Amino acid sequence: MTLAERLTRLRYNRVPDHLLGEILAKNWTDNLVPFAFLIVVVATFGTLLPGFFSTASVIDTTRQLGEFLIVVIGLTVVIIGGGIDLSVGSIFALSAFSTLMTIYVGGASPGVALAAALGSGALFGAFNGFLVGYLRLRAFLTTLVTLIIGRSLYDILITTWGTRLQSSPIFNDSFDAIGMNSVAGLPISAWIAVAFTILAHLMMSRSRMGWHFTAVGGARRSAYNVGIDVRRAVFLTYVISGVSSGLAGYLFAARLSGVGPGTGWGLELSALTAAVVGGNSLGGGRGSIPKGLMGALAVLLTTNGLIRMGAGTGTSQMVVGLMLAAAIILDVRWLKNRHKVLSEVYVAPLHHAMQPAVSAQPGSGTSYALNDALASAEPIALGTVEGPEDVILDADDNLYAGTRHGEIVRWFAPDYTRSEVFSHIGGFPLGLAMDRAGQIVTCVGAMGLYGVSKAGEVTELATETRRSLLSVVDDARLRDPNDCDIGPDGRIWFTDSTTRYDAHDWALDSIESRPTGRLLVHDPKTGKTRTVLKKLRYANGVCLSHDGQSLLIAESWACTVHRYWIAGPKEGQLETVIRDMPGYPDNINRASDGTYWMAWLGMRTPSFDLALRHPAMRRRMTRNLPQDEWLFPNINTGGVVKFDDTGRIIATMGDLGGAAHPMVTSIREHKGWLYIGGILNNRIGRIRLPGADPDWTSWESYWGARP
Amino acid sequence: MTTTQRLRPRATQEGIVLLMALLLFAGFTVTLDGFLSAANLLNIVRSVSVLGVLAAGMAIVVIGRGIDLSMISIMVVTVAIQLQVMHGGWSTGAAMALAVAIALGLGAMNGYMVAYAGVSALFATLASGAFIFGFVRSQILRQDSITLPDDATTLLALGSARVLGLPLDVLAFAFVVVLGWAALRWTRQGRFLYLMGDNFQAARTTGIPVRPLIVVSFMASAVLAWAAGLTSAISLQSVNTRIVNSTLLYDVILVVVIGGIGLSGGKGGMRNVVVGAFLIGVLLNGMTILNLPNIHQNLIRSVILLAAIILDGQLNPRDEQTSQQGDI
Amino acid sequence: MKTSIKASLKTGLLAAACTMAGTLALTAQEAAFDNPGPEAYANALEGRRVVLIPMTMGFDLAQGWNYFIGEEVRQFGGIWETRDPNWSVDAGAQAITDLIASADKPDVIIVQSPDLNSYSRLYRRAQEAGIFVIQLDNPSNYASDVFAGSNWQTLGELETQAVIDHCGEDSSKKIGVIQGDQVNSSSVDQWAGVQAVLERNPGWTVAGTGDSNWDPTTARNVAATILQQNPDICGIVDFWDATAQGTAAAVRDAGLQDQVFIATTGSGETIDCKLLENGTFGAVVMSELPRQSQDTVAAIKLLLQSGAAPGDASMYLYTAERARTAADLTPTTCWDQAAIEARAAD
Repeated sequence: MTLAERLTRLRYNRVPDHLLGEILAKNWTDNLVPFAFLIVVVATFGTLLPGFFSTASVIDTTRQLGEFLIVVIGLTVVIIGGGIDLSVGSIFALSAFSTLMTIYVGGASPGVALAAALGSGALFGAFNGFLVGYLRLRAFLTTLVTLIIGRSLYDILITTWGTRLQSSPIFNDSFDAIGMNSVAGLPISAWIAVAFTILAHLMMSRSRMGWHFTAVGGARRSAYNVGIDVRRAVFLTYVISGVSSGLAGYLFAARLSGVGPGTGWGLELSALTAAVVGGNSLGGGRGSIPKGLMGALAVLLTTNGLIRMGAGTGTSQMVVGLMLAAAIILDVRWLKNRHKVLSEVYVAPLHHAMQPAVSAQPGSGTSYALNDALASAEPIALGTVEGPEDVILDADDNLYAGTRHGEIVRWFAPDYTRSEVFSHIGGFPLGLAMDRAGQIVTCVGAMGLYGVSKAGEVTELATETRRSLLSVVDDARLRDPNDCDIGPDGRIWFTDSTTRYDAHDWALDSIESRPTGRLLVHDPKTGKTRTVLKKLRYANGVCLSHDGQSLLIAESWACTVHRYWIAGPKEGQLETVIRDMPGYPDNINRASDGTYWMAWLGMRTPSFDLALRHPAMRRRMTRNLPQDEWLFPNINTGGVVKFDDTGRIIATMGDLGGAAHPMVTSIREHKGWLYIGGILNNRIGRIRLPGADPDWTSWESYWGARP
Repeated sequence: MTTTQRLRPRATQEGIVLLMALLLFAGFTVTLDGFLSAANLLNIVRSVSVLGVLAAGMAIVVIGRGIDLSMISIMVVTVAIQLQVMHGGWSTGAAMALAVAIALGLGAMNGYMVAYAGVSALFATLASGAFIFGFVRSQILRQDSITLPDDATTLLALGSARVLGLPLDVLAFAFVVVLGWAALRWTRQGRFLYLMGDNFQAARTTGIPVRPLIVVSFMASAVLAWAAGLTSAISLQSVNTRIVNSTLLYDVILVVVIGGIGLSGGKGGMRNVVVGAFLIGVLLNGMTILNLPNIHQNLIRSVILLAAIILDGQLNPRDEQTSQQGDI
Repeated sequence: MKTSIKASLKTGLLAAACTMAGTLALTAQEAAFDNPGPEAYANALEGRRVVLIPMTMGFDLAQGWNYFIGEEVRQFGGIWETRDPNWSVDAGAQAITDLIASADKPDVIIVQSPDLNSYSRLYRRAQEAGIFVIQLDNPSNYASDVFAGSNWQTLGELETQAVIDHCGEDSSKKIGVIQGDQVNSSSVDQWAGVQAVLERNPGWTVAGTGDSNWDPTTARNVAATILQQNPDICGIVDFWDATAQGTAAAVRDAGLQDQVFIATTGSGETIDCKLLENGTFGAVVMSELPRQSQDTVAAIKLLLQSGAAPGDASMYLYTAERARTAADLTPTTCWDQAAIEARAAD
């Protein structure tokens, strides 16, 4: 390797480029824009204002933040539910008024006042909710009108009762304490706001009700069609917003113990600004409580900071307007381009130097030299099957294969012309295996490991494993389960090819050539699944050796077959059996003579091998070229290889014309025949194996002769 | 269309509101002395003229499925700058040209944000309204209120001019309504605006230049905002920027919507603006004659508006199958 | 009686201020004497921080206060600052709260209360934190250290009296009133003043009234309706000069300029004089801003030298006001905001 190539290797294999894409792919990066905003705001005012971070200042800020935050959170819930509540300022004022009336005219306790405040908030919210939810009026317009109704009601009340309220002889120390005192350094109102925020977040992210709100906001029609009570959900969002404004009004009354005609005036605009600056989409479905929190912080700190700087009339509007515009434009651009950016930066190729392969040229005389044996395979289900990645046969010689339509189809022996849908799974079944009881175990793409009983009933076996500590992508999920096999003790060993790409994006994984494949084991007795091996370059076929002591594992993009010992003195050790093959290995299965069959899904090419040593070139390629002009592994020619336990190649078969079996993903020997599957093929092929044991079946080789 | 359908026209919001306004009108005529006098009728029209001009501008944007929350800001800002430069010695014509240019620029900015940056109109104009007012008020204007300069004789004369006994603001309202009606009815752009508001994707696919059209609609609303502000300033001989903090914007939206121009676009026209303004005008006038305090007027007005909206909701219900996501 | 007490109180304070000024003058001449005055004055006032929080900085009153009070505070070596809530009660509350919590607390805050109640508790908290609270122009239900400015009821009385005086007993004895909002005390108290005068003048009635909601356009519409219903009205009381311009527009439109007399209140900025001069307004009860500011300055000086703690006493400095008409205008009656700005810019 030249120095330049070493440096390239250092650069691309040591710098974790892939993390950027993985982070961007996270849902929480939606919060990056508002979070950046918040940081900028805090940094700006922290620099401009001396004492911005002083304890007294922070405490007073949190006291005001409490009320504002609660209003914003209520509004956020409505917005997520696809509505809008402009009447929050009026509810706020009315609730503050009822609080003060209860205490200073009614002479009641703060608890009763709280009930009065929340009650009036809930009542007003229910009114809004009834109009918008049940009468299905337009939210914007309706709450605009209720805003004015509430405001004029409040003005009438304050005019009528204002004097009584102001001249009240009552002093209520416990009520004053709520507004003035602190617990553990934070004002009581701030604690209430914190508790309220956490509660709201749990409600929105963890409860059925919250999910319903999000569903209704995201797609009202779909929510209705899946049976969610849309009207009730909408109604409830407004009640929640009303209660929030009510609580905020109560805290406001406790803080200032007075209300005036201007109380809560214009609150709807600042609350709306906060919710939007936080990144909540108006129209619903996309938003969260933390976003509301960040927006509330950014807006309150800005207006507060500007007041403290003594800024002139209009400055605050200017800055908030600018902030809103910037936040919205950024958010819109982000939403629009996130996908593009993601697809640009997600692919982060590694330097991977493949060693020269033995030639597979027909007639080259090497053990890998391809012949044309598969071209004459006898077709089964020609043109009626799509994508039989793997095939398997039962004791009655019936043939099973998964299809692209999410089914396992059964063809009946002996001529395999009749077929039926054996079982509907819903995902693309890939690797198949059969356990002692005759149950089919299958790896379903993007779903997990499933069992299908003889009666065709589907059971979920494993859909997740333990999450790695430092992985950014959620590798608890089984993203690309590919092939499985069953040990003598019933444990199911299976591969998960990559944690970075979905099954249909396998080509991107090959271009990236990053080892993220895994070997996992599922124990049906305990129901537990754990990860056994990591860092495989597209972990693919897995096959239990004839002695039951080890597994043969195909690593596709490394063109390597490994042996992993699961029993005996070498248990837990990994050794390489075959390396530097000229083809990309796929499934491996047992052969009747004590050796193994292996499918080649494609052949290595010098051009792609060279590309693998030039990660920068591959990155440019994925960014600048349309997908159909990329360099891919050659999957137009595949083959079948037979090898023994030592890794010696015994035979190689191919289809040189590519008409019948260009790409082979699986092979299964059964009673003297070899059945051939291909994930992109429109048929299952079979060829007679001269000299093979005509009675040998794979099932018996695993589980012994039938009684 | 069958005969029965023709005899029983579908109750539209416009029809309901017109009926309500007529009922109120009849009620006030019977109960209030002097309500029906020519002078009072002029008062009614006059009290909603500026509102009507603003509503006409809003209607144009709303028909194209937008909304312009920055109208009041633009109105205040353009007129305030116009008067301020006149105090600084500019001629009336030059100051007016400057104000119109600023209005067009601000409208284009709004339109650009909506059409090209892809921001929803609600947010774009909410933000721009706050920014425009905040920027001009804090950086350019010194105080809330600016008077018409004494030497602005042309404008002062306009304030007292009467054509057919009608003052400037009523004429302006009438002119804008006729012009708007003609533009929406007879120009290609006007028809395109309806098509765009009714089905944006279809309009776009058909090859209608939707983006420039959006920009033009916002520019129209901005210029009408300036016109409304100028007529108001001429009549009052001053402009008070504090009006930005009032409920005027909400009133404008309500006139548009209760008149029957749906916020989802593609529907209505200048006739609806007139009907909406008529209801508001009759209400305000009657209640003022009754010496009702402002706060009670607000309550009564908003409850009547709510009734109109509920009635419309009952007569033209939306359901879960047809309502669109993001349609608030 | 009440007024006279207020007047004497005010006179007392003014006298105190004058005495001090006199002392200063003496000191300058007789430097040989060891006069403790200048030193005590400087010690008590130098470096003291005074903050003005009006309802907004964007109107003539606040600009005037900023100039007249600010000038003196800077002269005695104090630190002068303003905050701008821009008509938002909540923003004003935030500003006061932040001042109370700030590390370098102000010594005096001057607040124009937006309503009777909203800031009451904050005033108490400020006093507890050692800050003197001067309420300027708008009252609240909390008696802070000093209130300086107008008695709104007196304003209402003066306006109404001006209309009655002008119209005379031979007129229709009908007046119109354009109120503010019937919610804020500036509106409610003036209305009480109107009622008080009408009680003293039997036969006079309010023919029509309405609310401007502090908006000139609304004022114009309301006034137009009142005039149309009662064309024989002889005068209109409008509670604010800004809205009175709308009322005047309605009068102009109705062609009743010569018949209807408009009385209103104002800060006494040049515009008031101009509108009096050209006959738009009949009378303006001016809040005498320069003198009001001077009262406030005196209050600051006294409070800071008194040695008293905030909250020890509460005093009221009502500015003497009267209705001014075109007849008693002099070149110095009004103050000029443009001139102030020009001087401030120097």
